[in-house]
Order: sequence, then structure tokens, then C-alpha cells
Amino acid sequence: MKVQVNEDMCEGHGKCQNAAPAVFRLREDDVSEVIVDVVPAEEVERVERAIRLCPRQAIKWVSQT
Amino acid sequence: MTSAAPLTLDQINLFDPTPFEMGEAHAIFKYLRNNKPVFWNDGPENLVGTWNLTKFEDVVAVSRLPETFISSTGITQMKLAVPESDGLFGDTSGNGKMLITMDPPRHVRLRRLVNKGFTPRAVAAMEAHIREITTEILDGIAGRRSCDFVLEVSSQLPLAVICGMMGLEKKDWPLMFQLTNKVLGAGDPEYQTDVPEDQRGSREAANMTGAMGFMQMFAFFGQQLQKRRVDPESDLISLLCGSEVDGEALNDEEILWFCFLLILAGNETTRNAISGGLITLCEHPDQRQKLQSDMSLLPSAVEEILRWVSPVTHMARECTRDTEIRGQLIRAGERVTMWYPSVNRDEDIFPNADTFDITRTPNDHLAFGIGEHFCLGAGFARLELKVMFEELFRRFPDIDMDGPAERLRSTFIGGIKHLPVRYTPAG
Ligand code: HEM
Ligand code: SF4
Repeated sequence: MKVQVNEDMCEGHGKCQNAAPAVFRLREDDVSEVIVDVVPAEEVERVERAIRLCPRQAIKWVSQT
Repeated sequence: MTSAAPLTLDQINLFDPTPFEMGEAHAIFKYLRNNKPVFWNDGPENLVGTWNLTKFEDVVAVSRLPETFISSTGITQMKLAVPESDGLFGDTSGNGKMLITMDPPRHVRLRRLVNKGFTPRAVAAMEAHIREITTEILDGIAGRRSCDFVLEVSSQLPLAVICGMMGLEKKDWPLMFQLTNKVLGAGDPEYQTDVPEDQRGSREAANMTGAMGFMQMFAFFGQQLQKRRVDPESDLISLLCGSEVDGEALNDEEILWFCFLLILAGNETTRNAISGGLITLCEHPDQRQKLQSDMSLLPSAVEEILRWVSPVTHMARECTRDTEIRGQLIRAGERVTMWYPSVNRDEDIFPNADTFDITRTPNDHLAFGIGEHFCLGAGFARLELKVMFEELFRRFPDIDMDGPAERLRSTFIGGIKHLPVRYTPAG
């Protein structure tokens, strides 16, 4: 599965990085970046948590395969 | 508190500010969460009725769908059924004109214009400045042993921060305080100073007070704007003057509404979070003791204060297409009201929700909302709370309440108007 951060929405609150540091990284410009191409199975739950917690609701799954 | 719990649903009226003023709303919300989590309330007099959401997951769901649940027809439960034609003041609702009352896609673009000034990094850069202001405020009360904490302390920090950001001169800050009270506290007789004393407390008095505050605010910012058009500075108002959305410069009206929103959102809410935080800590001496003996707990204490106090009581939306919430059909055109104090004590999300615990983790409360309209100033509010309690407890470790707090008569803002405190004077 792939995950995406909407750069128009993200305001750098960093909750995603706290929830799933292996998947999200906060860049210098206060925008979160997805640092994996495909989310490994063992990270899925943490990504789900990031999606739930993001204050701006800027994160979403882009493919369910 | 529990003695005030209503016995039946038809005794509940969430348009009535009395339980909020008395600090008794939590009992009502608990009852609704357990018995009728999506609760219809007819509108009194000339107001439209609304669905009331009291559960955490339902408020998240609605906030996630800003196109289905729109903000542009008003964000409070007070929506007039029939517009009161009031030629004197025109449309003072601001619906559709402010960031907070605007829907995507325009909302997204306008927000991007200003949000760089509010990101975690931008906020962190202000810490030294915020500490300086805090020190100055506390110097002002240090020589005495008592004061009104709201008038002299909790209102002063957010006011200074937001006025500073907007480049307003210090001499104008008291006016901003006064006008914010009139606009957001219009329904409270204390602020109805433009109305003869024997007429205060009526709905007409509230309308009049709100409108006067509104007009004076616009007149003031109109002058500020003219100054900056001629002579731009590095403040937020000047930034807006030079900005474009969709290739078009913002016009005067749009900028004035933005100023109006910032001054209101920036100063009343944080004031109440600081006052409410102090009251809560005084009422929970064990938690206060724990905090004061280990101030590294402050960041999580601040989150718990925000959850506990929930300074913004509600935000409302209008439904644009039939949608089900918790099995209840909400029809297009109907309104929903999201109650933050309720969702922040939702037992399904927060274990021991009725316990104030400064070490609570996780603590993903919704005091700042979530999603599209997530509070732009959340970072500033958090930092102001942190710095204020650090400095306050450092200099006045024994500060305590010296009488009951006086609350605002409002269903929208959990306002605290006065809070007498006493303390040992500091050098
Ligand atoms: C503890 C203090 C505060 C609380 C509890 C609070 C709460 C909220 C809430 C619940 C919303 C969401 C509105 C919605 O979903 O419709 C909001 C929006 C907003 N807040 Fe705050 N706020 C606080 C402090 C501040 C400060 C200090 C500022 C400015 C510096 C600010 C500026 C704003 C703005 C501009 C919006 C509108 C954002 C948008 O619609 O995109 N707030 N606030
Ligand atoms: S939590 Fe959301 S807003 Fe915050 S950095 Fe991550 S994606 Fe961006």
C-alpha cells in the first residue's frame, strides 16, 4: 500500500512522524514527506494512526494493493 | 454538578446559556452521550434548529468532510430562520467572508497564504518574545498580593501576541480587548455598555452590542489598512495587502474580515484557556503539586488543560447532502453543532474521561478542531500556555483563587470574565 501527504493541507504538526517515523519525515520547510515507496505491512497500523491523528487530515492511502 | 442533570431529553435546551454560565453543561453532555448522542434541538424564537453532536468520532467525521458539512452559512448554532433586515449595519455575520466561514477550494488557497507564519517553526521562533511579554505582565502584578487574574494577566498575553503580529500600537490594545468582549460577549449584560442599564440582558441589547463592537472594529482596522497601503510594514496586515488569491489581490473588505477574525480568535480563546487552566489546577491540588514539583510535565499538562477546559464550546456546520451520522439521517439543509467539551470527555476515547490527569497519554483531544479548519493559531496558543504557566509558577508558586470565577453568558465561548487571585508578592 502507498500513502500520500497532501502538501496543500500539511502544516508541519509532525504527528505523522511521531506515529510512524519509518514512513514520514518532517522536512525543513515544515511539510511532511513520505520516505518509503510502499508501506511495509508492519507499518500499516502506525500509518493508520498517523492518518487518524493528523490535525489537518492531510494523509491518505492512495492504493489498496 | 450532577444535581443539575436533566431527567428527560425534552428538558435539554442547548441554546440556553445558563448551564454554561453555571459550569453545569458537562452533566448534560454526559447524559446525551449515553442516551441521545445525536440530539435534535428546536431553535428558540427566530433561530434554526440543529442536530447536536456529542461523540468524538462523529465530530471527526463531520470535520473531515468540509464540502458536505460547510462553514460558509455560519459557524455558530445561532442561525436566524428569517433574516432580520437591519439596514443600519448590513450583514455582520461574515458568512463566507472569513477563513473560518469559507469553504474549499477558496479556503485552501487563502489558508496557504497565511499559514507559513503559524507553523511549528515560526511559532518556536517567537518563544523569547512571548517570554518577554509574559515577564512584563507579571512584573505588573508583582508588587501586590491580589489581582483580577483575567483583566491583568490571562487576557494580556494573547492580546499582546496577536496585536504584535498585526503591528498594532500598544495604545490601541485596550480598545481591541474591549471590542472583542463586545463582539464575542454580546449576550452578556456586563459588556452591553452602549445600551441603557434597564434594557441590558435582552436579545435586542445583545444584537446592539455585537453590532456596535463590529462597527468600531471595522472602523479601526479600516484606518490601519489605509496606513499600510501607503506605508507597508512587515506585519500581517501589510502581508495581506500585497497578497493574491487566484491571481486577484485581496480587496479591502476581505482584509478587514481577516483582521476581525484574527483579533477575535487570537485573544478571547487563549485567555480562557489560561484562566481555565489556573482554575483547574487550583481545583486539583494533587495534580498541581505534581506539576510544580516537575515542570517537565508542563507540555502534557497543557494538553490536559485544553481537553478539560475546551475553551471553544462549539462550532456548527450546514449539511449539503443527505448523510447518516450514527444511524441518524441528517438531511441536506439541516445544521449540525459539534460540542467540543463533550467530545473531549467521551468515555469511548479517553479512559477515565472525568479525571483530570496531567500525564494523560495519548491525549488527542479536539479542543482546536480537526481537518480543513483546524485552528490556525494552535501552536501560538500552546506556547502561550506553556510560557505563562512556567513563569507564573516560578514567580508566584503559591498563587491561589481568592473567590469564585465569573463566567461568560455564552454557549459558544467558555469565557471567564473575572478571576480573583491572591499570592505572595515577588521581588
Ligand atoms: C486555546 C486557544 C484556542 C482554541 C481552543 C481555539 C479553537 C479553535 C477551533 C475549535 C477552531 C476550529 C474552527 C472550525 O472547525 O470551524 C479554530 C479555528 C481558528 N483559530 Fe483558533 N483557537 C485558539 C487560539 C487561537 C489563536 C491564538 C489564534 C490566532 C493567532 C487562532 C486563530 C484561528 C483561526 C484563524 C481559525 C480559523 C481557521 C480556518 O478556518 O482555517 N486561534 N480555533
Ligand atoms: S501530521 Fe499532518 S499536518 Fe502534521 S506534518 Fe504530518 S501530514 Fe503534515
